[in-house]
Amino acid sequence: MIQKLQVPVSVVSNFDHRRRTVAPVRVVFDGIPYFVRRIGFHHTYRRGRTLFHVFSVASDTLSFRLVLDTDNLFWSLEEISDGEAG
Amino acid sequence: MEKPADLPFNPKSPTLMHLDLNSCFATIEQQANPLIRGKPVAVAAYTSPNGCIVAPSVEAKRLGVKVGMRVKDGRMLCPDLVVVSPDPNKYRAVHLQLKQLLGSYTDKITPKSIDEFVLDLEGAPAFRLGMRELGREIKRRIREEIGDWLTVSVGIGPNRFLAKTAAGLKKPDGLEQIDNTNYLQVYTGLALTDLAGIKLNNTVRLNNLGIFTVMDFYLADIPVLKAAFASVLGYYWYLRLHGFEVDDAVFARKSYGNSFSLPRPFSSLEELSPILQKLVEKMGFRMRRAGYRARGVHVGVLYRDWGHWHRGHVQPEVVFDSRDIYKAALRILSGSPYRKPVHTLAVSCFDLVAGAHLQTTLLDDIAKKDNLVRVLDAVNERWGNFVITPAHMLAIPGRYVPDRVAFGGIKELEEIVLGSG
Repeated sequence: MIQKLQVPVSVVSNFDHRRRTVAPVRVVFDGIPYFVRRIGFHHTYRRGRTLFHVFSVASDTLSFRLVLDTDNLFWSLEEISDGEAG
Repeated sequence: MEKPADLPFNPKSPTLMHLDLNSCFATIEQQANPLIRGKPVAVAAYTSPNGCIVAPSVEAKRLGVKVGMRVKDGRMLCPDLVVVSPDPNKYRAVHLQLKQLLGSYTDKITPKSIDEFVLDLEGAPAFRLGMRELGREIKRRIREEIGDWLTVSVGIGPNRFLAKTAAGLKKPDGLEQIDNTNYLQVYTGLALTDLAGIKLNNTVRLNNLGIFTVMDFYLADIPVLKAAFASVLGYYWYLRLHGFEVDDAVFARKSYGNSFSLPRPFSSLEELSPILQKLVEKMGFRMRRAGYRARGVHVGVLYRDWGHWHRGHVQPEVVFDSRDIYKAALRILSGSPYRKPVHTLAVSCFDLVAGAHLQTTLLDDIAKKDNLVRVLDAVNERWGNFVITPAHMLAIPGRYVPDRVAFGGIKELEEIVLGSG
């Protein structure tokens, strides 16, 4: 099931200076920590002039759409899915 | 059958490559969400039961789910169907990444749609690698650099049409070539409707002149084909099937338009006018950003009984301000003789005028209006679309007239580039 949300979320991210990549490694949602196992896709978009980075990531059981607002560096969770039909 | 000895199949090396991202939107969603990979997925305009499926995944297609089906019908065929809302920004990001990757092989790239590209490798250094090897390398790089779940069908041919036809021979993840060594074999295995541009009406035209197979089509003389299509199109088909290029023309944009399928059966002008205004605001912003103004305004309505009505008017003055376009569009819509439930409302501007020159009038301060519109557009560009909106538009929910990626159209792709800066 895919659930649309719009909530602030705690995210630990990692910058690898050798590969020059940034990626979330841990998400805390509803008090439960989830370790990111896979980065599905990363893309950006602009709303007005504000740049948003969207990370579609998956833990062992859930996938998350995490959005980083580059104006205030706040993360929000916009979608959560268990991969099953809703 | 013997081919009349007039024009042989084009003997030149195939230098055109057509790339088609398989089940584009659904595959990108599977790329983004690893938990739905290998499962039947459908991207639908709305995830509600009556929502229209715009892109089924490869797995869903195998179970009979097709583009245009309702979500509820898709679920009847496939109860485990994962239904996803479209995410245009994600698809545009993949399009731009693909374009950048393909640009490392040639500068002669033509995006044909959000998920299709044509590469002309004639004279490009990459051509020395060999077209098939190049196709394999591009497939590998897409998996490594853009997404490991993304597959493309690659077609190679001496012209754009045959490259596209080759790309359709094996899906998903195909790599096929049509050239002067195998075209007869390929043509023998195809039905007329397998050719891009030949659907029911053209099949009937061809059948009427005794052309029932692609081989018949290939062997037909030019006068027969001209008679079938009643135009020069017959000659173009003759050249296409013989491997010569006729599809490399670039057409100028002729109009800007936006449409919206209504979630509720509105019928009165009071209910429809805020939606019409939002459509006009979106269209006007896009048109002005591309540097156009327009002389004509057109409104089209598809009703829920599948009847339709449309009307276009050429305005006395060139229009560019969304308020003026809305006034014209509302006047046109109010002229509709029908007051029945509307399925889809569409508005467009035609007879475009490029450039910044403005014809001044005695009645209106055009320069002042132009400055105001520029400022409003700049504010909306800075803070996001519709941060300044006509109060009338507040009557409709924000989810109405959402962002969409057009299918098939290539003109919108200019806007992807414009909007990505």
